[in-house]
Amino acid sequence: MLSVGALSFALPWLLLGLAALPILWWLLRAVPPAPVRVVFPAIRLLLGLPQHEETPHRTPWWLLALRLLLAALVILALAHPILDPGRVLRGSGPLVLVIDNDWSAGGDWTLRRDSALALVDEAERENLPVYLATSARTPGTERPPLQPLTPAEARDRVRSLAPLPWPSDHAALLAQVEQLELSGSANAVWLSSGLSEPDREGVRSRTVLLERALQRLGALRIVKPAPLDLPLHLSASENTADGLRVEVTRLDATPDRPAALIATDEAGRLLARQEFAFPGDSATSEATVALPGELRNRISRVSVEGATNAGATMLFDESSRRRPVGLVSGDTAQVNQPLLGNAFYVNRALEPYAEVRNGAIPDLLERQLAVLVLSDIGNLTESQIDRLESWIARGGVLVRFAGPNLADGSDALLPVVLRRGGRVFGGVMSWERPATLAPFDETSPFAGLDVREEVVVRRQVLAQPSPDLAGKTWARLNDGTPLVTGEKIGDGWLVLFHTTANAEWSSLALSGLYVDMLRRLIALSQGLSADTTTRPLAPLANLDGFGRLGEPAAAARPLPAGDLADVRPGPNHPPGFYGDREARQAFNLGPRLTPVLFDSHGSGVETAIYGPSEQTDLRVWLLLAAFALLVIDMLISLGLRGHLPGRKIAMAGSLTLLLGATATTVGPDTADAQTSDSFALLATGETHLAYVLTGDTKIDETSRAGLFGLGQILARRTSIEPGSPIGLDVERDELAFFPLIYWPMTPGQRPLSDAARNRINEFLRNGGTIVFDTRDQNLSGIGGVGPGTRTLRTLVEGLDIPALIEVPREHVLTKAFYLLHDFPGRWEGGRVWVQQPDERVNDGVSSVIIGSNDYAAAWAIDVSGRPMFPIPQGGVRQRELAFRFGVNLVMYALTGNYKADQVHVDAILERLGQ
Amino acid sequence: MNPTSSSVPDHETIVRRDGEELAAAFPALLVAADRVASTVAQGVHGRRRVGQGETFWQYRRFEYGDSPQQIDWRRSARSDRLYVRQTEWEAAQSVWLWSDPSASMRYRSNRSLPEKQERAAVIGLALASLLIRGGERIALLGHPEPPATGRAVLDRVTHSVLRDMGGEPPGAELPALPRLPRFATVVLVSDFLVDPGLLMDFLSRIAARGVRGHMVQVLDPAEAQMPFRGRTRFRGLESEGELLVGRAESLRTAYIARLGELQESLETFARRTDWTFATHLTDTRPEPALLGLYTGMTEDLHARV
Repeated sequence: MLSVGALSFALPWLLLGLAALPILWWLLRAVPPAPVRVVFPAIRLLLGLPQHEETPHRTPWWLLALRLLLAALVILALAHPILDPGRVLRGSGPLVLVIDNDWSAGGDWTLRRDSALALVDEAERENLPVYLATSARTPGTERPPLQPLTPAEARDRVRSLAPLPWPSDHAALLAQVEQLELSGSANAVWLSSGLSEPDREGVRSRTVLLERALQRLGALRIVKPAPLDLPLHLSASENTADGLRVEVTRLDATPDRPAALIATDEAGRLLARQEFAFPGDSATSEATVALPGELRNRISRVSVEGATNAGATMLFDESSRRRPVGLVSGDTAQVNQPLLGNAFYVNRALEPYAEVRNGAIPDLLERQLAVLVLSDIGNLTESQIDRLESWIARGGVLVRFAGPNLADGSDALLPVVLRRGGRVFGGVMSWERPATLAPFDETSPFAGLDVREEVVVRRQVLAQPSPDLAGKTWARLNDGTPLVTGEKIGDGWLVLFHTTANAEWSSLALSGLYVDMLRRLIALSQGLSADTTTRPLAPLANLDGFGRLGEPAAAARPLPAGDLADVRPGPNHPPGFYGDREARQAFNLGPRLTPVLFDSHGSGVETAIYGPSEQTDLRVWLLLAAFALLVIDMLISLGLRGHLPGRKIAMAGSLTLLLGATATTVGPDTADAQTSDSFALLATGETHLAYVLTGDTKIDETSRAGLFGLGQILARRTSIEPGSPIGLDVERDELAFFPLIYWPMTPGQRPLSDAARNRINEFLRNGGTIVFDTRDQNLSGIGGVGPGTRTLRTLVEGLDIPALIEVPREHVLTKAFYLLHDFPGRWEGGRVWVQQPDERVNDGVSSVIIGSNDYAAAWAIDVSGRPMFPIPQGGVRQRELAFRFGVNLVMYALTGNYKADQVHVDAILERLGQ
Repeated sequence: MNPTSSSVPDHETIVRRDGEELAAAFPALLVAADRVASTVAQGVHGRRRVGQGETFWQYRRFEYGDSPQQIDWRRSARSDRLYVRQTEWEAAQSVWLWSDPSASMRYRSNRSLPEKQERAAVIGLALASLLIRGGERIALLGHPEPPATGRAVLDRVTHSVLRDMGGEPPGAELPALPRLPRFATVVLVSDFLVDPGLLMDFLSRIAARGVRGHMVQVLDPAEAQMPFRGRTRFRGLESEGELLVGRAESLRTAYIARLGELQESLETFARRTDWTFATHLTDTRPEPALLGLYTGMTEDLHARV
């Protein structure tokens, strides 16, 4: 390794070659340019002429210089020069390499690892030992002391490192570094995440202490991510009425940094993408993934688009999706008549959005519950009221429906005081009409819902007028009387519907508004507090450092029972799913992170930003320059010898070379032109007969000529005037445009790809017809199988070929245009197979027709209209019959059972005669 | 279907294909020659009237075996006997043509120019066409067929010339001399780029038999001017060897002088032996050369009679 400033040579001894340049110069001077070779018949006259200038034309000095430069460039390139302005290591002290491999490292891990490898490479060149330390939390609290590694060992270690989905443990790292006893000054490099551990109760942040400790070892260089590369993390999420609201936190302060959230389901399918931006320089942004409830319930994971770290990924378990709703109905007697029962309507309205549990109040309260619906429960016991009140205060939502029981007399657990008895509108003895709903107030939880005109309320319970009645009224009738009232108790809500949950008192339960209102009420509830567990949960699946969900980590331990708030993510509890498949608990990293930007550094600390390696390998560029010089030299030599008549040609030549070089490197792939719209336009402008390109030019040309000949006959004799035949590549082209495709079998055809097979199946299913022609009637002996048939067998494997029969005597093919008894092509006697006729499928047209008589060869005509192939036995008549079969075939494919009706015309006439 | 039909063509196919190519070139060359000839024929029309090429010679009695077509009915009607009209054709000269088929003639310095042998063939065949119109008998030097006349002969001659043009290996630098009759005429169309000693010897041998000759030297413009520059390796077409020249332009003057010497010596020879000598460059039109040649020949022919 030879270094000159930032330039170093991997193979410096090759530079000795430069010493040979003067010799080269002498040689080039002495050797004249190669002569032009000229053929000259009059050479006899030249022979023996005295040559006045015996010395050859000297190579011009500038050409000499050019060639010497060329040689020098090649020698330099062979010495493998490397330009590396980013050399870091100074002196002979060891390299102390600290790598942050915490959760935030996933995003720029490649850069970080490459930086580490470049440092190790440099240490290897300088022959320095390496101390390697990583920051992410390790299972134990004590870490073994750092050991010097050879650069090769260090490289292996670095390669095996991976980001870990939990925060750094700078305290442990600090202890490790402080134990390090080095004799001289070291080169300390900290490949940092740019995050600091927060100060805790007056104690200096461990990160700052670590920086000081490293600085004590020697020169410290801290490499950090660029501000825009600092990770985002999802710090909170909430299920709201509009959608899933996710809070994203950032560390950088780039104004209006745009990003997007991606919501996926269990199988990784994209459910929604929500763009968001950080307004101004605020540290957090909220994005709401707006999805219908059913879809929202399928969200299993939300992550920042493009982010590859565990903090930017939030997992969702069942508890955050469906809110359990308890339902207690007062009319247990009516179970036998479900349409009259109260529970029926609530059940039906809530089932898609929530998990509805039926039962008695004490049983329901045993388990976690977000909302409790009491339908027409008149009087609750004191103990029940106590329990319910404390439950509401903790965040529960109690929804009560009125009914005959409640109207007769109720307990006190109501948002308003009720008058006894109900109010009846529009009864037989009343002038009043049933009341309709008034629009909702802005302050009401129902604000924004459309009031339906058809909802009429015939009976209600009335509230005693009181000063705060208006504030508690969430929905009212047109006459101002409250329909829904609510009151906040503690963290929860107490809500009363002044009418029944069923259609007895009003038609509310029959309208969509009912569902919407109930959903709003469920959204009021806080859901379950997700961070408590009742029993220890074993790890089910864990996120890795790149935010990928995989097998449980080896060191992962079950989550302890109880509140999860103080469980720290770490090697023992990596983020992911815990529990079993049926009831799993998401344990997310993002909400437990409190990252602080690590941006104040001590004096004397050199900081840098991750970037691609600054090493430049100059070899390629030198070789390219040498090549360019070579080209120039060639052109000049040609010019000197008089091979280039003018400058234009030289210019054109060099341009061509350059363009050629660029074209070969960046030439775009312009294949697949046939799949474009123009192909569709071409194919659909007229009815075209189509054939499948087999790859055998001769056969393809025969097919084309055959269909062209058939087209001529069709245009002359029938009202079908097909356009020119189109050759199809089944692997590439759309088949749907063609009613009839002719497919000759050649031995060389390869089996179909899956895509082509699907396309052909689709084509056959949707009414297309393919004529397979095995073309081997002349070759297949009695009972033998011709080569075409063998190809056919391999080709149709995997195609939906229906059951086939030989063409029956009365088949439409025999009567579609001409009356035919057999179907000769170039050969005679081959049997023709069609699908078992079934009028219900495809208009009765067989999707597959298989023949072996080489029809295209019989139809083929050349440009001047003469047949291209002789017909061995039948001559003109057989060709005519072949054409008639072709006409029948096209007629059959195009008209379907319309012609089939004509088959029965005899029977129809006979019937008419009677 | 025969799978081998598209394989390598067999020998017969090659021969037939070459024959067809030759046949395709045949009318083209003949047409070119004819066109040149007819231009010249119109130009020399006045002179031909004076001559006696195909004119009356004598009447003689009809003998058994004579063709009835030969009977001159006008003369016969004046007497009781049948007379046959005999013309001068027997006295017509036999002309021996030689268009040089040697390798050095297969040369052109530029794609836009014809090869020298092509031009020589056009001149030779055009002359043959003219001569046959004049009833002369022609033969090719280097070919065994005796002199004859008629359109068929022209075809045969054309065919022979064409075969020589494409033949491998190329023909000899100088033809073998047949037994030339006295008063025959020899037309040599060549570049005369052979060993000067051999050439003079050859010409002298012809002249020694009292045969008159006409020489046309066909040269490529590159041969006349030698436009080459720089370091050049020259190679001949007839195994003369190679010559490496440091600066080709330095040889130009000497070369042109040498070429002039050659032409001078040929001209001197022609003057001494009452022959004609002309040069022709392939970048000029062939008609003037042919006209000069033909004029010289007709005067010559008529002078003899």
